[in-house]
Amino acid sequence: MRYFVCTILFCIGFSSMLHSQTDSITALREVRLIAYRLKDSTYTRNVTIVKDSVLKQNQASLTNFLNFNSTVYFKENGLGMVSSPSFRGTTASQTSVLWNGININSQTTGQTDFNTINTRGYNKIEIKPGGSSVADGSGAIGGSINLVNELGFNKGFHNELFANYGEFNTYGIDYQTNYSSEKFSVLLGIARNASDNDYPYPETDRININGQYHNTNISLAATSKLNLNNTLKVFANVYDGRRNFSVPTPNALKTKYTDFNTRSLVEWESHFSKFKSNLKIATTTEEYRYFGNIDNDFYTYGKVTSFISKYGLDFALSNKILLTAGINYTHNDGKGSNIASETRNLSAALISFKHVLSETFLYELGLRQETNEQYGNPLLYSAGFSTKLTDFYQLKVNTSKNFRIPTYNDLYWQGVGNPDLKPEESYQGEISNNFNFKNLSISLTGYYNYVENLLRWVPDSSGIFRPENTNKVQIYGLESVVTAQKSFGNHKFTGSATFAYTVSENKETGKQLIYVPFYKFTTSFGYNYKRISAYYQYLNNDEVFTTTDHATEHILDSYMVANLGAEYTLGKNRDYKIGAQILNFWNESYESVLNRPMPGRNFNFYLHLKF
Amino acid sequence: MKKYFYKLASLLMLVLITMTSCTSDDRDDPISVQPPSGDYTDGIFILNEGGYGYSNASVSFFENTGEVYNSIYSEVNGMGLGDTAQSMGFYGENAYLIVNNSATIEVVNRYTFEFIATVSDMIVNPRYIEFSDNKGYITNWGDPNDVNDDYVAVLNLDTNLIEATIPVAEGPEKILLDNGKLYVTHKGGYGYGNTISVIDVASQSVLNTITVADVPDGIVIDNGFLYVMCSGKASWTGDETLAKLFKISLSNTNETIVLNFSAEQHPSYLEFENGILYYTLNNEVYSIDNNAFQLPENFDFSPVADGVEILYAFKVYQGAIYIADAKDYTSNGEAFIYNLNGDLQNQFSVQIIPNAFYFNNL
Repeated sequence: MRYFVCTILFCIGFSSMLHSQTDSITALREVRLIAYRLKDSTYTRNVTIVKDSVLKQNQASLTNFLNFNSTVYFKENGLGMVSSPSFRGTTASQTSVLWNGININSQTTGQTDFNTINTRGYNKIEIKPGGSSVADGSGAIGGSINLVNELGFNKGFHNELFANYGEFNTYGIDYQTNYSSEKFSVLLGIARNASDNDYPYPETDRININGQYHNTNISLAATSKLNLNNTLKVFANVYDGRRNFSVPTPNALKTKYTDFNTRSLVEWESHFSKFKSNLKIATTTEEYRYFGNIDNDFYTYGKVTSFISKYGLDFALSNKILLTAGINYTHNDGKGSNIASETRNLSAALISFKHVLSETFLYELGLRQETNEQYGNPLLYSAGFSTKLTDFYQLKVNTSKNFRIPTYNDLYWQGVGNPDLKPEESYQGEISNNFNFKNLSISLTGYYNYVENLLRWVPDSSGIFRPENTNKVQIYGLESVVTAQKSFGNHKFTGSATFAYTVSENKETGKQLIYVPFYKFTTSFGYNYKRISAYYQYLNNDEVFTTTDHATEHILDSYMVANLGAEYTLGKNRDYKIGAQILNFWNESYESVLNRPMPGRNFNFYLHLKF
Repeated sequence: MKKYFYKLASLLMLVLITMTSCTSDDRDDPISVQPPSGDYTDGIFILNEGGYGYSNASVSFFENTGEVYNSIYSEVNGMGLGDTAQSMGFYGENAYLIVNNSATIEVVNRYTFEFIATVSDMIVNPRYIEFSDNKGYITNWGDPNDVNDDYVAVLNLDTNLIEATIPVAEGPEKILLDNGKLYVTHKGGYGYGNTISVIDVASQSVLNTITVADVPDGIVIDNGFLYVMCSGKASWTGDETLAKLFKISLSNTNETIVLNFSAEQHPSYLEFENGILYYTLNNEVYSIDNNAFQLPENFDFSPVADGVEILYAFKVYQGAIYIADAKDYTSNGEAFIYNLNGDLQNQFSVQIIPNAFYFNNL
């Protein structure tokens, strides 16, 4: 048993060590393992886990956080506006966003607008590069982002208040209250962010007009250990956001956009002898309204209500073998200005097998059978192994087949939607090399991803855009994550970096997809001396093509942006922090979308109290 | 072995730190060489509307020597033209560029392309411009979701200010002057129109409305006749209607000849030269003699054979047919020049989504 625990510790340990500035690196803590603690498909691929304390040092939007701390590339229509990711060179809808394990990508567009996720509502974020459709279902092709509310026990009553204020009347308030006893824990969080967002466009005399936004996020998480074998968890989240869309040119008609999303989840975990069962029942609602003219009450909308249930049963055949079987069911009910009321039912069965063969070798297999005739009942798989070759070197190999079903818009948009669309299919393989030393860890991953039936809206011969299964895309690349820390007496240094090289080409034309940079590089450094901390974040994005013919005059230039921050800890118990940040420290003039300038250098202050 | 890795890692960190202090190294944009004389007389402007929302509209210039100059507005004026250039008009020494999603009209000297003024007040979703007596008349959709706020703006060409608006039905599009009257097609904006408004220039008011068929697109006036190409509603609208070509006597608008296209045919454009009407259908070019006025059975020629993917601009001028291809809307378009027999004479690359040709004193 002891060996087993060590092995698992080892397997998980590396997968999760990344990112920090002043805070020490986050490993999966408290891995008190028993056999059936083996989880889904995280053993043969790397996962980055970011904890609360690091989240607080970043801006509240998920876009900003991931932009500076991961290999995910973002296309942002000006600060705070619509933001879409490209994870490992894939399209925006090929990144799946999970909320406590439940997929929350919009059913209408297939995407998540990363500026509508407020990271303040969560205390842990997991970044999983690569396809994981076997576990996470449709859309997990480029990678997944899991937003997690984690609860501890036996900590009594705690409160936390975080407030920031910056230029352009940008403010954020995040209050969390947490109570936990031996068997019960509850967390309630309320966060609000807002900005006038009227920043000047660097090197011009224009300012960002009509870019103001505000959003409120309320999250609730509660867990109760009913008895020795049963745990009940309840999660709820409400997001209410309003953005004006900044105008591309000063005199353009002003528009606005609202989002209202709710999510609720009940999770029942129970274990008995060699079994562990997990039942999740969730409902989500998403509704957007787009006002084409801010002065007019007329709007177009889309609204989808979903019911999701997931059941998984783990069976420990021995200490070293875990068999999991599961059933997923999703029901969507959507309608909108351009979509007649449509419902959709999706179900899947999955089975997986994990085996710790020796102290240094683990392999896993997973199969998922979708049972949706309309989409050809695809059978998805995932297989991989992890092996520790030396005391500091670990090798992980994984291959998988993943998919993404067409969205509501693709299928049902009045007049142009195409009910005969096939799902996108992705075949991928990756090899991760992890080097782990006392003060340093390096991961280097090479991957290959072949996507068929890419869903895109393309003009037909009369110029009308329609959704189609178009090209084949071949993606391959390298990504690397490095973290290090070193102390000299009271001086503590931390550093982390991510690097991505991505080739994502249309197989027919051989050309790189638009808005996919060949390189992306991020790094951050932290320094801590007693009560003082300072940190520096840096991001460098390579140039991107904005036209499919790669015409040089339309290339969007590469850019580098850096943030500098410092904080001071006060109080007897070091419970209070005050901090200041200089965002875009070098005052870089840059755009991540053509003719959508981002802000120049600006200042931000924050206060973090625990009581 | 471990030591080696420490060294390697230290080196790597050092490289990272060094990289941090460099700024990005951008490639130089290609410099568009401009005509040596700096003027744009004797040639053809090609308006590239650019991607909607991307503010990359531009103007290309095809000199009669065969040289092509791209992005002349920004090269001359050091600023972008704006978001979605819809159309252009000439009056006197000036050219008026109608920039739809910017809701502006950029006034430039038509020979030097130097910026003169921006008209932005009382311009909302502008489409096309026509001129009469030192005034410009600009069709505006207003808020496209409001079917009641559409108008024709009257631009004082001396002050470059809008001095009046003439309310019209939804979705005013092309506008044409004939004999003191303005004829405005109501293509329909976000909806589908089926009328022509007739505006009296003197009183600046709508005189009457001529009902045609759905989606009037091309309009031509010749010798007392108004020709209107109505595309009909396409199948994706969920309510497909027939396309029709109208020949309407302006002396008596009840005197009308209508040609019906077959079901599922949705022609576009209407050009006129030397007694022949030209239009396009499925990216192919057709012609009709205006006296016989019978729909042809076959097309004259097919630019598809020359690689045209989306025929997005069509103009017949002085014995030549000008066609522009918008490709996939996300790459540089191409212009094609044919003689009237459909023989390709010239072909050149322009910018994003070329939508029209304008001839400067050729």
